[in-house]
Amino acid sequence: MTAQRAVGAPVARRDAFEKAVGAAKYASDLFLDDMLWVAVLRSKYPHARIRRIDTSKAESHPNVVAVFTHRDVPVNRYGLFKKDRPVLCDDKVRYIGDPIALVAAETREDALEALKLIEVDYEPLPPVTDPIEAMRPDAPKVHDDGNICREVHLRLGDVDGAFARADVIVENTYRTGAQIHAYLETEAGISYMEDGKIVVVAGGQSPYRDRAEIAHALNLPEEMIRVVTPYVGGAFGGKDDITVQIHLALVTWKTGRPARLVWSREESMMAGTKRHPAIIKIRTAATRDGTILANKIEIVLDKGAYTALGPAVLDVAVENCNGPYRVQASQIDAYLVYTNNMVASAFRGFGAPQVIFAIERQMDLLAKKLGMDPLELRLKNALRKGDRYVFGNVLEGSVGIAQCLEVARSHPLWRSRGRNSCEWPWLRRGVGVAAAMKGYTIGALPDKGVVALELLRDGRVLVKGSFTEIGQGVIQAVAQIAADLLGVSVDDVEVVFADTEVTPDTSVTSASRQLFLAGNAVREAVEALRERVAELEGRLSGRRPARVEFSGGWVFIDSERRYSLQELARLLESTGLGRQVLGVYEVPRVEPLPGTLEIPHLFYMFGVTLAEVLVNLLTGEVTVSKVVSIVDAGRVINPITFTGQVEGAVAQGIGFALMEDAKIRDGYLLTRDLSTYLIPSSKDVPEIEVIPVETEEAEGPFGAKGIGEIGIISVAPAILNAVADATGVEPNAIPLTHERLYWLLKEHGLVEQLRRAST
Amino acid sequence: MARRAAVRTVQRRARGPVPQAKVPIRVKINGVEYSHEVEPRLLLVHYIRDVVGLTGTHIGCDTSNCGACTVLMKGTWGNEWRAVKSCTLYAVQADGAEIITIEGLAKNGELHPLQKAFWEHHALQCGYCTPGMILAALGFLKLNPNPTREEIRKGISGNLCRCTGYVNIVKAIEAAAKEIREKGSWI
Ligand code: FES
Ligand code: FES
Repeated sequence: MTAQRAVGAPVARRDAFEKAVGAAKYASDLFLDDMLWVAVLRSKYPHARIRRIDTSKAESHPNVVAVFTHRDVPVNRYGLFKKDRPVLCDDKVRYIGDPIALVAAETREDALEALKLIEVDYEPLPPVTDPIEAMRPDAPKVHDDGNICREVHLRLGDVDGAFARADVIVENTYRTGAQIHAYLETEAGISYMEDGKIVVVAGGQSPYRDRAEIAHALNLPEEMIRVVTPYVGGAFGGKDDITVQIHLALVTWKTGRPARLVWSREESMMAGTKRHPAIIKIRTAATRDGTILANKIEIVLDKGAYTALGPAVLDVAVENCNGPYRVQASQIDAYLVYTNNMVASAFRGFGAPQVIFAIERQMDLLAKKLGMDPLELRLKNALRKGDRYVFGNVLEGSVGIAQCLEVARSHPLWRSRGRNSCEWPWLRRGVGVAAAMKGYTIGALPDKGVVALELLRDGRVLVKGSFTEIGQGVIQAVAQIAADLLGVSVDDVEVVFADTEVTPDTSVTSASRQLFLAGNAVREAVEALRERVAELEGRLSGRRPARVEFSGGWVFIDSERRYSLQELARLLESTGLGRQVLGVYEVPRVEPLPGTLEIPHLFYMFGVTLAEVLVNLLTGEVTVSKVVSIVDAGRVINPITFTGQVEGAVAQGIGFALMEDAKIRDGYLLTRDLSTYLIPSSKDVPEIEVIPVETEEAEGPFGAKGIGEIGIISVAPAILNAVADATGVEPNAIPLTHERLYWLLKEHGLVEQLRRAST
Repeated sequence: MARRAAVRTVQRRARGPVPQAKVPIRVKINGVEYSHEVEPRLLLVHYIRDVVGLTGTHIGCDTSNCGACTVLMKGTWGNEWRAVKSCTLYAVQADGAEIITIEGLAKNGELHPLQKAFWEHHALQCGYCTPGMILAALGFLKLNPNPTREEIRKGISGNLCRCTGYVNIVKAIEAAAKEIREKGSWI
């Protein structure tokens, strides 16, 4: 494969080979000689004061090497936005997964046994588990400074005027649940000492950020810590925060021995982060012809016990809560509220799936009230390039939402809408549509990525960056971009990733931005290499060339002279110029609105989902029989990776909509395993049709937009809109389990109706 | 929605507090004979991973729901190869048995048709479910060499994948089934 062919070609991924033969090593696959097994004692109560921790019995267990509590942690608070999370709890426990002590023992069994020997004297405190209740001034306090972690209030445009002018007003309240990431590989890692440094090899999403958190907690210089992220068995945002890293580093630092910590599934369910549950109230003003005038929106996110990435999630919710529409005015009041529930943080889509669920159900309810076709209503209000969005920002990047909606309108699935009856009277068919949007790259926050590009002595190319391979195929995509820019075969590009010792900081792998950042940084690196060749030529011939081109494994200089890349590598080395260059890409930013972190973004991605469902009126069971995902993708780098990402996102969206029901009672998680918390199996996910709408994003590498998240955002509302189409009931809370739908159907007399018809 | 039954007893017992006298076992894995002394409470999956060191077989749950630990086994229940979840057995129950894990599927550097199909059809992302998925698929194809897509979906419904949405997994198994039929040998 040569230049300009790698990008856009469906190339089988290199990491996929290792994974298919069982040779790929994940953090949980690493075992070291003389290794200690670490286990974590977690809180029994959702909220309690710790009076005393007695570890003496555990310490005297014959195979236990050490037991750690908060007394052993130099700086016992960590966290990305706010350092409020204890490495090991000291004064209080604030949710059931809170860690209290660590045991390091010679075997897994010894470690687990010793956990039971630790005595903790708790003074249980009243928990607060409902975010609305937690906002009341007299509610029990999760943290001393009150339960409101962050609030955002925006008044955009003339909201009151819009409501006064409105022909119709629609108001509803929507709820979404605490989705659990449930990656197949739980949080895992190992640690050891090497050359006086603590090495932590763990499943994560950003080695540099993890390193900073470890260094802070252990009060050590960052240079004393090396973080490596091997292949990760799924992340979806759930490994964005610290999981095992600080605990492992602490054990190795204090004992000098290698250590291993792998969370059990139950632990992962309790102590891992969740998607923020949300309560969203929307009041919409529109004219009779379907023009949306204004939205009044109130958002409450259940933060759980600690801040984690919550503030950024809240802002994403605020930014996207009006949907991809030309809304002229909006009043937004958003609250991020601490409770004694499990910690919520990043999850594919950040806060967007919650608010888009709400606004996209609202659009259907508005269409119903106006007697309009729901797709036409969306199209009428859809944003276009050059529009001023509700925050006053002009959308200068590509805006493909109208194209996506047009593709949906002419899709046979949409055209078949209205055929509701099935061969059995108790089955009803429905088709629903929903649109999605989300800003990408970190937005208003400074954001910069660096990659190194090294020309190897044999003429091959090595790209180094701290991006992590969490299954999204970033390594292959980076290789393809480098291959194209340098005019070499993609097989001649090696990629080294995610090791603070050898790769520069390409910033964090989240928010669908990794490829965008890394790809642009690679482009900058190639520019730097071009510059270096010019310098070399200047030295060799005394004259700076005007043009340097890479093609077919050669570098051409002013079309007069050419070197093979191997030759070039030799020359760069012998002249002392060096074979390695750095590419630095800084995301162009917009000034954030006052009071917000990163609103608005410069770039947005868009998508539309069509869903077909079959509803069993007798049981409330919903079968998703077809999903069409239409995505404004920029230019697609690797079609197989692209469709795979979207299909996976759709499956998670189906789980979010219908199945994934984290049952939490008084702060206790009742669904602690994969037999009670159900994620979609191969029987729950239908055939998925993915249609890319390719728009050109001038700033992106080869026009690529982030795609990791957009696929999930509009799945749940499309499914619920389809259920409404099938049955006429209007469910506004997810997950819509069959039990919940059954009761709704019964309430609306559908079950009765059916029974009467059959007798 | 598919409901999956809870089967928890195995690991609950495995965590029992009393260390027990070790028991000798002999197991043939990927054609190699292994003999070890193991604790009776040691799960087969931990034996394969921690003791023998074949870490391609993964662990994704404690309730036998995910299938990440699936291997092929014969000799425990008759002499037919079948796919089993290796977290549902103790190592001692595999005494005298033969096992194939993901590491034993490629022959002389040549990928097994399922491995090739998973790779080429992008049937994996993070890849953590892949070894178990491939072996479950193989056990299933042995019983049903020419399945429909619907049958494939049923056949692998005991194995979870959180990344792919299964579409490409089904395609890959379909393609591999064809190749296996053409080749006439399933392993
Ligand atoms: S580890 Fe999940 S089924 Fe065996
Ligand atoms: S590829 Fe990640 S779980 Fe299947």
